Amino acid sequence: MASSAPPPALTLPPSQFARLQPHAYLLAHLSPPASSNQPSLRANGRQPAQFRPTSANTGSLTHTNGSAVVRVGDTTAVCGVRAELLPTSDIASWSVSHASSGAHKRATTTKNDADADADESHIQDLNLLVPNLSLSTGCAPGFVPGAPPSALAQSLSHQILGLLHSTRLVRAEDLRVWYQVPSFGGDGDMDVDAEEDEGRKKKNDGKEIKAFWVLYIDIMIISLAGNAFDAAWAAVLAALRDTRLPRAWWDADNEMVVCSEAVAEATRLSLRGLPIASSFCVFEADAAAGWRAVIVPDAEEEKKIEEDQRRGMQRRWILADPDGYEEGLSQERVCLVVDREMGKTVIVKMEKNGGWAVDGRELKQLVDTAAERWESLKLILEQC
Amino acid sequence: MTDRRRINGPPSGTRPAVFASSLKSASGDATERPRRHRQPNELRKIFLKTGLIPSASGSAYLEYEPSASLAAARSSPQSLIPPSSALKLACTVHGPKPLPRSATFSPNLVLTTHVKYAPFAARQRKGHIRDASERDLGVHLETALRGVIVAERWPKSGLEITITILEAEDDRWWGDAPDSHDAPWGMMNVLAGCITAASAAIADARIDCLDLVAGGVAAIVSDDAVAEEGSSSTPKLMLDTDPAEHKSILSACVVAYMPARDEITEIWLKGDHSKASLGVDDSSLGHEALIDGAINAARGAHTVLVEAVLESAERYAGLSSSDS
Amino acid sequence: MSTQRQATSASQTPHISPAELSYLYTSLSLPQNPIRPDGRSATQFRPLTAETDLLPGTNGSARVGFADGTQAIVGVKAEVERTVVGAAASYTLAEAEGAGDLDGEGGEGSGSAAGAGAATAGHGSWVQMSIEIPGFRDDDALPVFLAEMMREPLVESVSSGGKGGNGREEGEMGGGLKGRLVINRRWHWRLYIDVLLLSQPLSYPLPLLSLTTHLALLATKLPKLKSKGEEDPFFDDDWNAAEYLYPRASSFPKFGGGTATGGVPPPVQHVRPPVTLLVIAVGDNVIFDPNREEIAVADTVLAISVTRDGGAEGGLKLLSIRTIDPPSRLTQPGVPNSENVATLGATAGAAGSEEQQSAAVLNPVTGEEEVPGVWRPRRGGVKRRTVAKMVKLVLEKGGVGEEVLEGLESVEVG
Repeated sequence: MASSAPPPALTLPPSQFARLQPHAYLLAHLSPPASSNQPSLRANGRQPAQFRPTSANTGSLTHTNGSAVVRVGDTTAVCGVRAELLPTSDIASWSVSHASSGAHKRATTTKNDADADADESHIQDLNLLVPNLSLSTGCAPGFVPGAPPSALAQSLSHQILGLLHSTRLVRAEDLRVWYQVPSFGGDGDMDVDAEEDEGRKKKNDGKEIKAFWVLYIDIMIISLAGNAFDAAWAAVLAALRDTRLPRAWWDADNEMVVCSEAVAEATRLSLRGLPIASSFCVFEADAAAGWRAVIVPDAEEEKKIEEDQRRGMQRRWILADPDGYEEGLSQERVCLVVDREMGKTVIVKMEKNGGWAVDGRELKQLVDTAAERWESLKLILEQC
Repeated sequence: MTDRRRINGPPSGTRPAVFASSLKSASGDATERPRRHRQPNELRKIFLKTGLIPSASGSAYLEYEPSASLAAARSSPQSLIPPSSALKLACTVHGPKPLPRSATFSPNLVLTTHVKYAPFAARQRKGHIRDASERDLGVHLETALRGVIVAERWPKSGLEITITILEAEDDRWWGDAPDSHDAPWGMMNVLAGCITAASAAIADARIDCLDLVAGGVAAIVSDDAVAEEGSSSTPKLMLDTDPAEHKSILSACVVAYMPARDEITEIWLKGDHSKASLGVDDSSLGHEALIDGAINAARGAHTVLVEAVLESAERYAGLSSSDS
Repeated sequence: MSTQRQATSASQTPHISPAELSYLYTSLSLPQNPIRPDGRSATQFRPLTAETDLLPGTNGSARVGFADGTQAIVGVKAEVERTVVGAAASYTLAEAEGAGDLDGEGGEGSGSAAGAGAATAGHGSWVQMSIEIPGFRDDDALPVFLAEMMREPLVESVSSGGKGGNGREEGEMGGGLKGRLVINRRWHWRLYIDVLLLSQPLSYPLPLLSLTTHLALLATKLPKLKSKGEEDPFFDDDWNAAEYLYPRASSFPKFGGGTATGGVPPPVQHVRPPVTLLVIAVGDNVIFDPNREEIAVADTVLAISVTRDGGAEGGLKLLSIRTIDPPSRLTQPGVPNSENVATLGATAGAAGSEEQQSAAVLNPVTGEEEVPGVWRPRRGGVKRRTVAKMVKLVLEKGGVGEEVLEGLESVEVG
């Protein structure tokens, strides 16, 4: 009979389908049948190039010099910056040459600060920036609390450290505690040591570095739903923008560095630029395609892909700000850190790994997307 | 030994900043100890919200209202030294999930608790590895919760409760000598907060419980103001004490309390209050007054807890109806 | 394995069958007089053997063995250490010293709260306790928890802050150990208390460890101080002249000694280290010094620390209470006959009487429905009145606490 019921189709609620067939689920969202007239959206309802709503809040933690909470969608990062002092007397390799060259450089570079400042090596050589990211906060089921940092946490910590160094975000000058050696009169009670000191200091305009601030930048990922790096970096950036260092001076009587507690005297860090990270992942329609054929795509293939695209068949999607679900479905990741100066986009870092789907043309587009992201995040960071 | 899995600072170590004003304390105290503006039986407000961490089966975020002094310092900052601090912590619950194959058979839900301070949580920088006090807190929390969970409904399963303390309570006023009364009174407030937050997170994870257990703190304090009057100080019972606001805490007590059953799953009382006569009571009954005070504080926290859990239930109900 | 490590409740869940647990519970919760497996009364302690000063390399040591073969050794070592105050306070201290040259004690009163306060009050970290239990790593939860539990009452200071005058403070040092470790403003004693459980922990090791530590501290002697005031300390090398850390009523030194810094000897007779008692409640009964089987069915387990009150009447004072997770929560439940598939047929015949027997009744203590004779793991917490009762039994005059302290004092020390 014609009216015989078709075999009951196996129906699953979307949430279960998403778990059982994650790849097909996301693919179905991204390439809806042409008849349905639906736009190509991700499973989470975003456009491929759309970032999650982001919010930031700074200065809420009491015992920090600067702090920030950044939420990117469901990923939450809390960053606290604590400043401690490193007296130069504690540095084993601190030598006369160090001290003098520092002072010398300072004199010359104050005028043209944009110039490459060789002094920044202090930050790297002395480990003045100490970022550590922790995932053992119960942020996601996979991370055992109490265990040593996972591979992901270690990798993220080092990425942040690397980025802090390569962007030269923090100025070494902000971290130095100088001491203006008073010019003694011709008092006769000075011993030989003191005279030697005196001689040396005179050479250095009577200025001497007595200590460095060390910034401990601790990032706790409170909730992890993909793309921890963008959130963590934004939190670091916001916390550093919020950081205030107390005025510190060398107290010769006590032979220690003393700080002033007055808020009015404290200074904010003057950061170099505002590098903002945007991460992307590549979702391929045929998940295994890239692995089967080990051929460098040549011109013909390129043509074929373009043809496909013209016909409305898209084979891969570049998804901005992937959530945890999408991260699990893609091998290839792109991370771009860009800054903008006077309307010009500067690529600070470009990292791509895990596949070869993204080509130069697409990277260019991504840079544009990242620049748009820079504008929106800048507003958020400036408002908090 | 250096920790190779973390980024370490300068090998010689660093020193916390020393403020000039703390050196000159002898010359006259410019800053004053923060004062308690609440009534002895008035609790701080609690912000408690569930479900902020979607990847966990249950989660809660708890924050204490900043004390008047801290709020003033926030709105018009004068000094870089915060007068006191307010507890902030996040709690996640993962599970119930199957125990690893290697684990021995358990007829009940196996509870593991984990309390960790963020490195920037306290006035002193905390290490990355749990210290004795953090482990101790974990044990207290476990005791408090195990009596509440109906554990036999999940045989061979594990439940993981993780608490990250973003901001801890002070153990004493910063202007006091670092050793003047060193008992970690702040830890007790932290424990009470942990209990309340964990209770909300467990309810958010929809684990069956006998009741919503809430934490409360009471302490017997002898205050500055009283001592200055010259008469022998009369210690007072205060609920939800902020250690920064009191010169001397004689003894304190934390309870985890289930109001519906009028039962206590955890008591942690310490300190010597034998010299303290509370006026009305016989001195030997000091501990009972203390426990009763802590229970009253827990009752207060319970009202907040109920609201938070109700929100969680409503959210869940809304979620499940839209799902189907 | 890791879950075992975590479990602090009487360490391992004992392997006792539900039927046995139920039997134990019933006999222990009998109204008025519980029947304990080993025939003791509710407040009776297990017999023990004790000796002190068995380790010549320590300042004080003790060994206690229970009849069941569990033994513990405690060694106390003391070292002189420079008092390190915080970076901030160190400066104040230097200043206070300058002032101290002129007017001695006056430096303390002049408002330089930081340094001076620290030097007289002592610091909790001066007492270091480590516990070793076979089968546990030293950072496992149980040893950490035990160490904190025992150290806490030990260092508990009689609040020195808000009590006003200095003289009174010294008289009140009675309970706290840390105040007695002060040599002068710049030097102090540091105590290392090493607790070693020699056997597997058969029952919750707290009572054993606490008693042993108590005896070891009682036997601890510190060399006699020969230097005076604020100079760097040096000591009499005659061990016979050494003074007890906790002075005896009989052998109390005539002149202040190394303990009371240059003041009048405090009129304190009964200064004793604290002792931590393990108390359980089963039903309405309160039982002391439970063994492994008894603790397995306890509704509530409390660790209560007491010490002699410094006062003339020699009463007891409470130093701390901690709840210990009762292992009964982790036990396996019994299955009532009415629900048991295996016995359903067999009992069907005697349905009438069976129904009566297995009808659930309300347990007045736990407030839950239970079938008599069928074990249910304990749930919930403890009622206030039960806590009050347990504490009262320990603290009251002629109560268990006093009995224990007297018993320990009778142990020949030295």
